[in-house]
Amino acid sequence: MSESASFRPPWWDRVRDASDYAVIVALLVIVTGFSIAAPSFLTTANLYNLILNNVVLLAIVAIAMTLVVSSGGIDLSVGVSVDMASMAFIMLLAGGSTVIVAMAAGIGAALMVGVLNALLITQLKISPFLATLGVLFIGQSTQKIASGGGKPIYLANAKFAPTFNAIVKSEFFGIPTPMIVLGVVAIGVYVILHRSVFGRYVRALGAQPGVAWYSGIRVPFHTSLVYIIAAGLCGVTGILLSSTVKSYVPLSGDGYLLDAIGATFIGTTISSERRPSVVGTLIGVLLLAVTRNGLLLVGWNFYWQQVGIGVLVFAVLALSFGLKGRGH
Amino acid sequence: MTTTCAEGQTLPAATASPAAGLRRGTFILRLGALAMFALIMLYFALTARGFATPYNIFNVIEQTAIMGILSFGMSVVLIGGGTDVQTGGIDLSIAANAGLCAAIYAIMLAGGWTDGPAVAVTLAVGVGVGLLNAVAVVRLGILPLLATLAVMNIAAGLELTVTENSVIGASSPLTQLIATGRFAGLSALAWIIIVFSLVMTWGIHYSSLGMRLYAVGGHPEAARAAGLNVGLYVAGTYVFSGLCASLAAILLVARLSASTTATGQLLLAILAAALLGTVFSRRFVPTAGGTIMATLFIGFLANGFQLSNVSYYWVNGVQGVLILMVVAVTTFAKPSGK
Repeated sequence: MSESASFRPPWWDRVRDASDYAVIVALLVIVTGFSIAAPSFLTTANLYNLILNNVVLLAIVAIAMTLVVSSGGIDLSVGVSVDMASMAFIMLLAGGSTVIVAMAAGIGAALMVGVLNALLITQLKISPFLATLGVLFIGQSTQKIASGGGKPIYLANAKFAPTFNAIVKSEFFGIPTPMIVLGVVAIGVYVILHRSVFGRYVRALGAQPGVAWYSGIRVPFHTSLVYIIAAGLCGVTGILLSSTVKSYVPLSGDGYLLDAIGATFIGTTISSERRPSVVGTLIGVLLLAVTRNGLLLVGWNFYWQQVGIGVLVFAVLALSFGLKGRGH
Repeated sequence: MTTTCAEGQTLPAATASPAAGLRRGTFILRLGALAMFALIMLYFALTARGFATPYNIFNVIEQTAIMGILSFGMSVVLIGGGTDVQTGGIDLSIAANAGLCAAIYAIMLAGGWTDGPAVAVTLAVGVGVGLLNAVAVVRLGILPLLATLAVMNIAAGLELTVTENSVIGASSPLTQLIATGRFAGLSALAWIIIVFSLVMTWGIHYSSLGMRLYAVGGHPEAARAAGLNVGLYVAGTYVFSGLCASLAAILLVARLSASTTATGQLLLAILAAALLGTVFSRRFVPTAGGTIMATLFIGFLANGFQLSNVSYYWVNGVQGVLILMVVAVTTFAKPSGK
């Protein structure tokens, strides 16, 4: 495409602009398609279930990832933060602690993962990729040691049921608590990232690290905060996750990693500069979740679902990036 | 090992520049990474019974053959695409691709095909997946991280679909030869990884192709201005990575006499080996010597722990800590902080 740059018809600019909407159009097409193909798709019960079970947890992790990617880094240890929170929360509950203490310990455990990442990246100057990869390995090992090789801890005992129900089955104004948590997280990070001075600095770090440094932005401070906030958000996910499944299953957080990266980078296609944003990430999460749910309802088995999602994501990206021409 | 160490260390002919002192500093610290590797080996040699025996050493080299080929595939992609965290070259699909290739090779052998067509189809599948990555990255301009993530899903899904998530046993004259053959006192797998490493070292560091690849990855604009077809080189790295995946898949089936469902999980270890390899090089870019060192480092660590009767729960974590330590020590030597 770039070779034929000498002449472009006037409508080409409009096609390029339209590429920013490729993901949104794809999402609408997919929703419409599944509504026709699977009658049970567009029912309140299914959509409710879809959002509560497939969207909320992934969305919070993906928003955490969005924050990190905005700052020019990447966090491969999001799953560790999720699991550490889940582990501390469930172990303390099992040991007889109160919910508040257990929750605080869970978030605290996740924050420690963030602090570790921040130290490795800002103090030891390790690249985010390697630093968080190392933390991922360490986190996996820690969990195996703590759980005797990966044995889950189930709190099926009836005395814990009210606690878990109070967290995930409760409602405020008719809206389930997990959805409210997602709403707060999404709006909170949106404000932090897109409407605050801190966010402007963070995005400057991602777009032009050198310029950010020469402009006097305290790079290590802002970078550290980004990784710590991200880990904290993953900690919230861990508590929601373990309350939903009433257990701590070692290494279960790792499943969010690639989907969160995928959603974040799919989300970048809605901005003309291809930068990450909270809204874009939420659209990315919806695209992944809706496709997975829809393919299930249409009757594809798990194996084909994975192929289907891969092909779909590939097609959406091809459309979005392809229309835009070469990224740079 | 000593021959490979010497690889990345050729110091530039003393250029009288202010950077010379700094360069000596990086050289010493780079030696630090090697010294740490040597210390850990020494520790195992003294404490773990049977570690420092030729039998065990060649056993580890054989075990690293599969990882080594995959790490080289990843390294070449990193060289050609640059090592930027978000926009640089990366092939997340390499492990899933190897899994798919192994599944197809095993299924064809189990279905009564002979080695000729089975190997041909396996290589074609690997290269095909690589081509898909190449088209996505170069032609469509999708970020490598994202493009190969989508392709990873496709390959992993196809593997699950064709194997129905089961282990498929397979054996053929070729797999027998690879698994049990010996020439001149060395096993076939050891020969394969030694020859492959030598060819890669020549290709990356002593051929004009390798030189141009570094130019493309390090400074694409300059490479383009110098008349290189940047897109073609980058596309080539993804195709090569696909080829490596299919080669590794054949070795994998030979070694286990079956395809396994766990091949995709090698991804993080491959990434670790390829990225860790960069700390063994002068300019912190992937090199053949660095990749070999890193793969052996990870292989020997796992083996040493096994022989020391350390519970396998600890292995990942200690590997993680050691990787971070080695990287931290060496990144301090980076000429300019960002």
